[in-house]
Amino acid sequence: MKRLALTTMLAAGLAAVQPASAQDAYVVGLSGALTGPAAATYAPVIEAMRAYVDHVNGKGGVNGRPIRLVIADNQGEPSKAAADAKKLIAQDRVILLINSSLSSTYAPMIAESKRAGVPLFYAGAVCPKETYPPADPLQFCSTAFGAQYDSQFAMGFVKETSKEAPRVGYSAMAIPISRGEIDYAEGLTKQMGMTPVDKQVIPPPTPDYTPFATKLKDANANWVYSWAPWVTQVRTLEALRRLGWKGSYIAYAHIQSEDELQRLKDGDLYVFGTNAFFQDTLPVHAEIRAATHRANLNYPITQLTEGFIAGLVLEAALKGTPWPPTPQKVLASMNNLKVDTKGLRGGPIEWTKDNHFRTRQYYRVYRWDPAKGAVVRVKDWTGIDVK
Amino acid sequence: MPFASGYFRTSYARDIRLVDTRVQAASLAAFVAALAAFPFLASPFQLDLANQFFLASIGAVALMLLTGYAGQVSLGHAGLLAAGAFTVGILVKEVDAPFWVTIPAAAVVGALLGVVFGLPSLRLRGLYLAVSTLALYFAVAYIGSEYETKRGFSTGIIVDPPSIGAFTVSDSRVWYFVLFGAAAATVVLALNLLRARSGRAWRAIRDHETVAEALGISVSAYKLAAFVVSSMLTAVAGALFAYYRGFVSVEAFSLFLSIQYVAMVIIGGMGSILGALLGAAFVTLFPYAIEALIEALPTPERYANLVFAVNYAAFGLVMVLFLLFEPEGLVGIWRRVRDWFLLWPFRQRPLSGTK
Amino acid sequence: MQLLVNIVVLASIYALIGCGYVLIYRTSRVLNLAHGELMMVAAYLLLTTASLFSGHPFAAFIASAFLGLVVGVAVYVVLMRKMAGERVLAAVLATVALGILLRGIVVLVWSAQQQYPGQALGWSNPALELPGGGRISVAAATLVLTTAAVYAGLFAFLRYTRWGIRMRAAGQNPLLAAQRGIRLHGVYALAWGLSTFTGGLAGMLIALDAGLEQTMVVIGLKAFPAALVGGLDSLVGAIAGALVVAAAEVLLIHYVNPLLADVVPFLVLIAMLMVRPWGLFGTREELDRV
Repeated sequence: MKRLALTTMLAAGLAAVQPASAQDAYVVGLSGALTGPAAATYAPVIEAMRAYVDHVNGKGGVNGRPIRLVIADNQGEPSKAAADAKKLIAQDRVILLINSSLSSTYAPMIAESKRAGVPLFYAGAVCPKETYPPADPLQFCSTAFGAQYDSQFAMGFVKETSKEAPRVGYSAMAIPISRGEIDYAEGLTKQMGMTPVDKQVIPPPTPDYTPFATKLKDANANWVYSWAPWVTQVRTLEALRRLGWKGSYIAYAHIQSEDELQRLKDGDLYVFGTNAFFQDTLPVHAEIRAATHRANLNYPITQLTEGFIAGLVLEAALKGTPWPPTPQKVLASMNNLKVDTKGLRGGPIEWTKDNHFRTRQYYRVYRWDPAKGAVVRVKDWTGIDVK
Repeated sequence: MPFASGYFRTSYARDIRLVDTRVQAASLAAFVAALAAFPFLASPFQLDLANQFFLASIGAVALMLLTGYAGQVSLGHAGLLAAGAFTVGILVKEVDAPFWVTIPAAAVVGALLGVVFGLPSLRLRGLYLAVSTLALYFAVAYIGSEYETKRGFSTGIIVDPPSIGAFTVSDSRVWYFVLFGAAAATVVLALNLLRARSGRAWRAIRDHETVAEALGISVSAYKLAAFVVSSMLTAVAGALFAYYRGFVSVEAFSLFLSIQYVAMVIIGGMGSILGALLGAAFVTLFPYAIEALIEALPTPERYANLVFAVNYAAFGLVMVLFLLFEPEGLVGIWRRVRDWFLLWPFRQRPLSGTK
Repeated sequence: MQLLVNIVVLASIYALIGCGYVLIYRTSRVLNLAHGELMMVAAYLLLTTASLFSGHPFAAFIASAFLGLVVGVAVYVVLMRKMAGERVLAAVLATVALGILLRGIVVLVWSAQQQYPGQALGWSNPALELPGGGRISVAAATLVLTTAAVYAGLFAFLRYTRWGIRMRAAGQNPLLAAQRGIRLHGVYALAWGLSTFTGGLAGMLIALDAGLEQTMVVIGLKAFPAALVGGLDSLVGAIAGALVVAAAEVLLIHYVNPLLADVVPFLVLIAMLMVRPWGLFGTREELDRV
């Protein structure tokens, strides 16, 4: 009790020093790859989140208080992420940490979040297994893609779509998370009675993908599955096509995929993902358009859905956090959360005490239809229960 | 430059004493006292910066011994840090070893790698040596990433804070004293090595290898010794990093980290332990200083998304300007300031027209 | 057959990038670690010229390559000239700092997202069927031809033209060259310009083939071991080194393990350093120089 009184006094003392605006706000800290080699994947998500927070603040904030999103740039480097997390917790006294960066930045942020008891929310960064049931008490994830479930869906799709017996080749990026997923998919392929033929693990900066593609083609694969950052997925495909390979290619629908399908115009490229494309022209898409226009973002509008969803989740989590906010209250709110994704996903994002991913993951498959000259939906929302 | 008037060294023992005069002893004591008081006044964020600086200074002093004194260029420093950190990570994960096993183990691994890194130096010099150490860096990084992937630590290895009995070193303030002690021990060790036979041998090798050989110095033995000492210290710094940050992953030890250490040595000023410390402080704190500065400038809301790119570019720009206008490094500035105070008020003005 | 094509394409990439390292190193003994960034800047400039000269892809390409040359000369005049007389390591560090600055500027001007200059130029990149069953994309074929043309041009330039001979003289003995009346600063500036020009060509052609983003920098760095294997002060060496490294890389990917691709150039390099530290075609006395 004495300690509590002391803490309160200390907090009150510090509050007197702090500017008033910071005190009135829900302070949330984000460390993400805004510059550096990985920025192409994460910067649009972070910028969209910022635009969404501005949009919410413009409407009067959450529970009558604005959200203050403190953004730090970790350039995809673990040491920077560690320092960022420390600063955000110690100096800005954030009630929630957000990570939008490479998986190598997770470990330092998890370490800091554990030490301080502040929840950690992955937005636009691949969901680690710790968010799946039984979930780690502090880690949450709203990102579209999730290890293992993605490959389960993709391999199922290959099996039901393929006209002949699938001989599957794989393409991974030489980073642990992508390699791990592709190894998992390879095992899954065998279990499902299909034949894995060849697996290529490609180092991230590669001037020419043809040597890798040559091997996939020579292995006589009729399907190639890739679960990696977009660069690796798409360049493997382009190299394969240049070699005259005629098979089907299935890859994860990262934020760039809607524009990329139109650029590539490849009828046998299937992308599967959990976010609705802009071609749906939902009412919420107009909202995204307006918010990003106000924020003066120079990213293609189609890349901003993921960040907008993260914003929706953030808003909902804070809405359930009564004033004055503490990390414990945010945690309580996040442990019992249901976010309406307004059609951007196949269903709501639901978090429970031991599931910090979502209770049901919905996938869609898109491809370019050469006959129609447009991107078409191959398979509509298909749910996989997350257990 | 005399540091005190009417004071002459009358024996070799006095000549190589680390603390020479009473004033020096007093200012050193004051400095240490100030450092000891710092954690009780600083904010947690400032404390973290200080800890980062101590960690960096161990590596920078180690590299200074190798590059600044023995004249052997190395671009493999990140590999040695990684080796130390991975020794900790692997031992903790595989056999749950306590820190008094892992840190000496890291030192041993570092010393062994030092021999490996040093072998090319017997044949190669300059740029070619730098590149061979770079190649070895890639080898270490490759092994580390294979371990991470094969054992399923795809997002890095989490290392719990070290503990002695029931006491766990997790508070930043405790860490401050641990790292301060480690950095101070490194500096004392380096100064002692430098004022002994080894230091003189290294300087002779740096200045002229052939002459050093002619003077009876075993060039290859001392070169290897420089690599071994430097690598051992660096690996220990890597091990401390693993415990302090609580994680190990290959991506934390990128090639850029090696370059940062080289930058510390050069920006600080070659051939000076003080330079290594100043360089470590500069390279560690500088990005935060820029961030704070740019944050302090009023930014129109519309351009908020450009701030990070400006930050990034500013770091490069200031480094370029620094190299252009202060080639002697921070130690050069330090010496000028010190000399100004030593000579004051009898400052000599240059004759007019000689500028 | 396809393996051979792959080796030739990869070797051309390494050789075209690598000659930039060689040009600067052999004239001024500085290792330019910003070569990857300069390459990337030239490739991004192609995006800008593509919108300026819309409808004239060829003009845009030439303009951008020329801008690359200007950037190289400017880097020397503004930055590297001032580093003359400093430690070599300090000069190398200055190029590193320049690289960081350039990366920041690129994000500032063109944003971090993936770009496709080929699309901006209205240029498609179909594959060509080669006799013997191999296939190659048009951009890759252009790259191979460009590399051949650049090397032929450089050999002729260094052997037969006044400025080329000056450049060789400055590289061999700067003091004597200066006393003979050769303006070293002019020669060095030209070396930087040519190096950025050739690097820029490589950057633009790679970007046309594969798109453009920040990771291009690392590709620039990967070509460095190739140049070193051949001997950093020899153009013939750069070709030979590129061929050796590319062959080792492609064959190891194909027959052993694709994961090795990243390490291969450095493995070849270590092997080389053990046997002939000065490189396949390098000058022996170089070793004492740095």
